[in-house]
Amino acid sequence: MASVVGGLLLLLLVVAVVVGVLALRQRVSFRIAMRNVRRGRWRTVLIVLGLLVGTAIISGSLVINDTAGTVNTHFTYLAYGFTDEAVYNSSVAQGSAPYVFFPYSTYLTVAGRTAAEPLIAGTTPEIVDTGSAYDRTSGVPETGVQVIGVDPNASALLGAFTYDNGSSTAGPLPGEVLLDDQLAGNLGASVGDHVVLYGATAVPLVVQGIVQDDTRGGFFGGNNAFVTLATAQAFANESGALNFLAVTNVGSLTDGVGHTGPVMTFLNTTLDSLGRPSGLVAVPLLQENLNAAIASGQSIATLFLVLGLFSILAGALLIVGIFLTLAEERKGEMGMLRAVGLSRGGLVYIYLFEGTVYAALSALAGTAVGVLVGYVLIRIYAQTLAVTASAAVVTAFVQSFTVTAQSLLIAYVAGFLLTIVTIAATSGRVSRLNIVRAIRSIPEPPPQRRVYTYLAYVGGTLAVLGGLLFAATRVGTGDVSYPLLGLSLVILGGGLIAARFVRNRYAFSAVGALLIAWAGTVELHRLVLGSSHTDSIFAIFVEGIVLVLGAVLLFVFNSDLIVGGIARLAGRRPKSVAVVRVGLAYPRRRPMGAAVNFTIFAMVLFTVILIAAYGAGETAAVNNSIAAESGGYTFFGYSTSSIANLSSLVAANATLASVISLALPVTYGTIADYPAGWTGAWYDQIYAPPTTGANGQTFYSTNTYNFTATWHGLSTAEVWQQLATNASVAVVDQSYQPVAASFGATPHPTVALGAELPIQNIGTRAETNVTVIGYMDQEFLAGVWVNPAAAAAIGYTNFQGSIFRVAPGVSAATAGQDLKRAFFPYGLQLFNVAEILQKAVQTLQGVIGLLEIFVALGLAVGIAGMGIVALRAVSERRVQIGMLRAEGFTRGMILTSFLLEYSYVTLVGIGVGTGLALWLYYNATALNPSSPVGTFAVPTAAVVSIVVVAYVLTLAAIAGPSWKAATLPPAEAVRYTE
Amino acid sequence: MSTEVVVAGADVWKVYGSGDTEVRALAGLNLTIHRGEMVAVMGPSGCGKTTFLNCFSGLDDITRGTVTLEGVNIHALPDRAKSEFRARRMGFVFQSYNLLPVLSAAENVELPLLISGTAPAEARERSVTILRELGLGDRATFRPAELSGGQQQRVSLARALVANPAIVWADEPTGNLDEEGSVQVTTLLRELNLRHHQTMVVVTHDPDVAAKCDRTYAMRDGRFAP
Repeated sequence: MASVVGGLLLLLLVVAVVVGVLALRQRVSFRIAMRNVRRGRWRTVLIVLGLLVGTAIISGSLVINDTAGTVNTHFTYLAYGFTDEAVYNSSVAQGSAPYVFFPYSTYLTVAGRTAAEPLIAGTTPEIVDTGSAYDRTSGVPETGVQVIGVDPNASALLGAFTYDNGSSTAGPLPGEVLLDDQLAGNLGASVGDHVVLYGATAVPLVVQGIVQDDTRGGFFGGNNAFVTLATAQAFANESGALNFLAVTNVGSLTDGVGHTGPVMTFLNTTLDSLGRPSGLVAVPLLQENLNAAIASGQSIATLFLVLGLFSILAGALLIVGIFLTLAEERKGEMGMLRAVGLSRGGLVYIYLFEGTVYAALSALAGTAVGVLVGYVLIRIYAQTLAVTASAAVVTAFVQSFTVTAQSLLIAYVAGFLLTIVTIAATSGRVSRLNIVRAIRSIPEPPPQRRVYTYLAYVGGTLAVLGGLLFAATRVGTGDVSYPLLGLSLVILGGGLIAARFVRNRYAFSAVGALLIAWAGTVELHRLVLGSSHTDSIFAIFVEGIVLVLGAVLLFVFNSDLIVGGIARLAGRRPKSVAVVRVGLAYPRRRPMGAAVNFTIFAMVLFTVILIAAYGAGETAAVNNSIAAESGGYTFFGYSTSSIANLSSLVAANATLASVISLALPVTYGTIADYPAGWTGAWYDQIYAPPTTGANGQTFYSTNTYNFTATWHGLSTAEVWQQLATNASVAVVDQSYQPVAASFGATPHPTVALGAELPIQNIGTRAETNVTVIGYMDQEFLAGVWVNPAAAAAIGYTNFQGSIFRVAPGVSAATAGQDLKRAFFPYGLQLFNVAEILQKAVQTLQGVIGLLEIFVALGLAVGIAGMGIVALRAVSERRVQIGMLRAEGFTRGMILTSFLLEYSYVTLVGIGVGTGLALWLYYNATALNPSSPVGTFAVPTAAVVSIVVVAYVLTLAAIAGPSWKAATLPPAEAVRYTE
Repeated sequence: MSTEVVVAGADVWKVYGSGDTEVRALAGLNLTIHRGEMVAVMGPSGCGKTTFLNCFSGLDDITRGTVTLEGVNIHALPDRAKSEFRARRMGFVFQSYNLLPVLSAAENVELPLLISGTAPAEARERSVTILRELGLGDRATFRPAELSGGQQQRVSLARALVANPAIVWADEPTGNLDEEGSVQVTTLLRELNLRHHQTMVVVTHDPDVAAKCDRTYAMRDGRFAP
C-alpha cells in the first residue's frame, strides 16, 4: 500500500510540476484563468460545490473501509487475543467438543520443541468445549456456552482476566468459574452464584468473578465460562487430556501476528517431525481471521464504491456540464481572444489552469465532506445495529471511526485527477470554436457529412473491439459484465456507422432501444450467453450505464415527440399552450443541453431505486420464506444429549404442555456427502424425523414444507410418504438445486433429482446411498432429510434434533425460555426461524438504507447541476425573458415556464431511472423464479419518498433562479448585453 | 388620419438615483399620438430615446406624470394587468430582433396571440398569414438561426403586428441591418402603417427612417427639442 501512496504522491507532484511549468510558459492564459477564478467568487464557490461530490463519494467509501477494517480487526483481536496460532484437530467431531482430545504428554512434547523457537513466546494447553449452564441462584439456564479450561499458572502468556471493577486475576481457581460479561448477562449471574456446567458430566461451580469481554475474556467471541484444566477435563469426561494448544508469538498483541509466517513453518515442520500426533494441525488463527476481517471491511467498502460509481460518473458529467456552461457564457470573450491572436491551445490552457484551481479546492472540500458523510453513515449504522447487537458492539463500532492519512491522500488525489482529467477533456472540446460565430453569438451549424464519416470510423473501431470482447468472453464462467459490455459496444458502434447513412433519429433511436433490450433483459442474456456466467456488482454497474445510455439516446433523438406528447396533455388553453411551448422549447429543440442533467438524474435514481428494490425484494423474500423455511414450526432445537422421549417430557411438564402444541424429536448428525461433480466431500447435516414410536408419522403429516422440484413430478404428499416409508430416498435443502451462478453466492454442490447421493457418518465412516427425490423450499435446516432407517444405517439413532410448535396465542419468547429451562441439562439450543430471518432483514435494511443515502449523494450532483444550469439560463436568456414580458407574459407565466422546463428534465430523468431500475430488478426476479437475488416487490413507499425528495430538492434549487427570471424588470432585461 | 388619441403623455419624468448622482432620463415629456400615426423619436446616444419607449409602453415605471394608452393609465395598472394590456394592445420590435431561438418563425409570431387568448389553431393560421404577407411564407418553420438578419426583423415585425395592437413600439428596428435590409424594413414599416392604419412609434437615430414617418420628435437630455 505504501507503493500506492508513493505513486499517488508522485502523480500529484508530476501534475503540479506540469501545470506549474505550463503556467510559466503560458502566462497570458494563466493570468486570464486566475482572473476568471477571482471575478465571480460565488460562482467559484458554486462550481467547487458541484465538483466536490465525486471526491466526497470516494472519500466516504474509503472512510467506511477504514472504519469497517478497524471494527473488524478490533473484534478479531478481542476474539483471539494473544493466541496467534493454534494447534488442534477439528477434522472429526467428538461429542460436543469442536476439537479432538489428545494426551497431555503430546502438549509437553510440542511445547518442548517450541521452546527452542525464538519467535514463539510460549504455548498454552487448553480445552475448548461447549455445553450448557444453569445458574442455581438466578434460576436462569443458558445453552451454547463455551467452556474453556485453562490453568492460571500455565496461561500467563495469554494475559490476565480483567474483572468488571477493573482489577485482574490470572485465571480460574479450582471449583470456581469465571464468566465473561456476555454469559453472566445471559445467566443473570453474580459473583458467588452457584452454577452448574452441563457437558459430558455436570460440574457444580461457584462464580469466582465476572470478567470483561476483552482480549482474554472475549475469547472466540464470548459467552465463555473459564474453568481450570482439571475442571474442563471433568466436564468433558476426558481425564488427562486436552484439545487445544494456543501458540503465542513474541511481541505485543498486534506485533506478534507479524511472525506468523515463520512460526507456521516451524510448527508444521515440528508436527511433521513428530508424526502429526492425534492428527494435529497448526492454524494461523489470528492472521486468518484478521485477513478475513480486513477483507470483509474491504468488501463493504467496495460495495459502496462500486454503487457510488454512478454518482462519481454523475459528478464527472456535472463537471462537463459546468464547463460547457462556462464556455457558452464566455463564447464571445473566447472569440475575441482568438481574434486578437490567442491560439486554440491558449484557450485550452485557460480552462486547464482555471480547472486546476477548482480541482484542487473541490478535491480538498470533497475529501472533508466524504469524511463527514462516512461519519454520519457510521453513526446511522450504529443506531441500526443497536436493534440486533449488544451495546458494547454498538459502542465499539462508533468508537472505531477511523480515517487514515492514506485514505485522505487517495481520496484527494483520485478526486483531483478525476476532476482535472474531465476538465482537460472538456477544455479541448469547448476551445474548438469558430471565431466569427463566437463573437457574433451565431449558433453552430449542424455537423457536416465528414463528421459522420469520422464517427463511422469510430463506430467501426468500437464495434470491432466490442465484437472481440464479446467473442472472447461469450463462452465460459467469467463475469457476465464483459460479454454484456462487448455486445453493447457492437450495438453502439453499429449505430455510429448507421448515422452516416440514415437520419440520426433512426440510427440512435434503434441503438437506444437495442441497448435497453440487451442490458435490461436477463432472459436475453441467458439466451445469448447461456447461464454459466457469474453475476457481479460490477455487472450491475455496466447494466446501469448501458441502460441509461440507451435511455439518453432515446430521449435526445425523440425529444420533440416526447415534448409534443406532453404539450398535448397540457390542453388547448391558449395561455397554457404558450407557457408549455416556451417552457419545453429548450429541452425539445436543444436536447443535448438537457441530456447531461437528464443522465445524471437517470443514473442516480437508477442506482437508488435498484438498491431500494433489492431491499424490498429481500424483505418480501424473507417474509415469504418465513413460512416456507419454518415448515409450520416455531423452533428447531439441537441438544448435546439425545432426548428420545421428548414428546412425553413436554406432555408431563404442566408449563410446557400449556405453551407447546407439538414437540417432535428428530435424529440429527453431521455427514459428509459426495455429490457427483463435486470434488471431495461436502459436510452437511442429516435429519431423520421419526416414523414410529410415540410420535408415529406426525412430522410427515403436519409439516408445511414445500418442494421447489420433485422427482417425476411427485406431489408434496407423495414425497413425504416416500420418505416416511422408504429408506433409500432423501430430500435435500434448496441449496443443492442447480441454479445459475450468481453474485455473492457461496459455491455449493448440486445434485440432480433421481441421482444417488452417497452420505457418510463423519465419525464412524459408515456410508449409504440415497436417491434424491425432491428439493425442499427451505435452506434454514440445510442438509439431507432421510428416513430414520437410512440414518440408522450410517450409525445415527440419536434424538439430538427437535422441532416445536408453540400453542396459538403464546409468545415464542416465553415458550422458548420455558423450553430452555426444562431442557438445559440436555444442552438444548433453540432457533426461532422467524426471529432469525427478521433480524437478518433488519440488519440488511440497515445496510440498504446506508447504501441508499450514500448513493443518493449523487442527487446532490443532479440538483446542483440543475441549479447551476437554471442560474445560467436566467443570465443567458435575459433578453428573451424581457421580450416575453414585453409580449405580455406575466411574472407567473415566466416562473411557470422555467419551473416546467427543469421539472421536465428532472422528472423524465427520475422516471427513466426509476423505471429502468424496476425493470431490471423485475427481470432479475419475477421473470427469473430461481433468482438468488430476492423476490420482486415494488418498494412503493421508498420509491415515492425518493422521487418526491429528489424532485422537491430540485425545485428548491431551481426556484431561486426561476423567481429571478420572473421578476426581471422587462425594460432592463430586453436591452441586456453581457 | 384619425383624431383619436392612442398615446398621451403628460409631464412624464423618469429620474434615476438621487442627489449628486441624480440623472433625469425623461424630464417632463408631453406627447400625444393619434391612431394611424407613425412617429419617429430621434436623438443622440444617451438622450433618453429608449427610456422614453420603455416608459411610454409600460415596460418601465415612471417617476412622475401620466401615460395613457387608449385612455388607460398604464402605470396605474398592477403588473399582471399591465402584462395583459401589453399582450392585447401593444407590439414591440427591437434592434436585435429578440426572437426565441428555439421556436420557429411561426411559433414566435404565434406567442402574442396565444398569450392574449387566441385559440392555437387560429393563432397558427394568423401567424402563417402575416408571415406570408411579409414575404416569409416559405420560412414559417425555420428557426431564427436559419434566417438572415432582415428576415429575422421581418419575423419580429410580424410578431409585433399579428395581434392587431393599438400601437407598435419599435426600438432601433434597423440598427442591426445593412443598408439594403434597413431600407426594406423601413419601407415595410411604412407600408404596414399606411395599409392597416397601424399606429407606430419608432425610436431611431437613422434620419432615413425618420424621414418616412409622419412626425419626428427630436430628443436631447430627456426632453423633446422645440
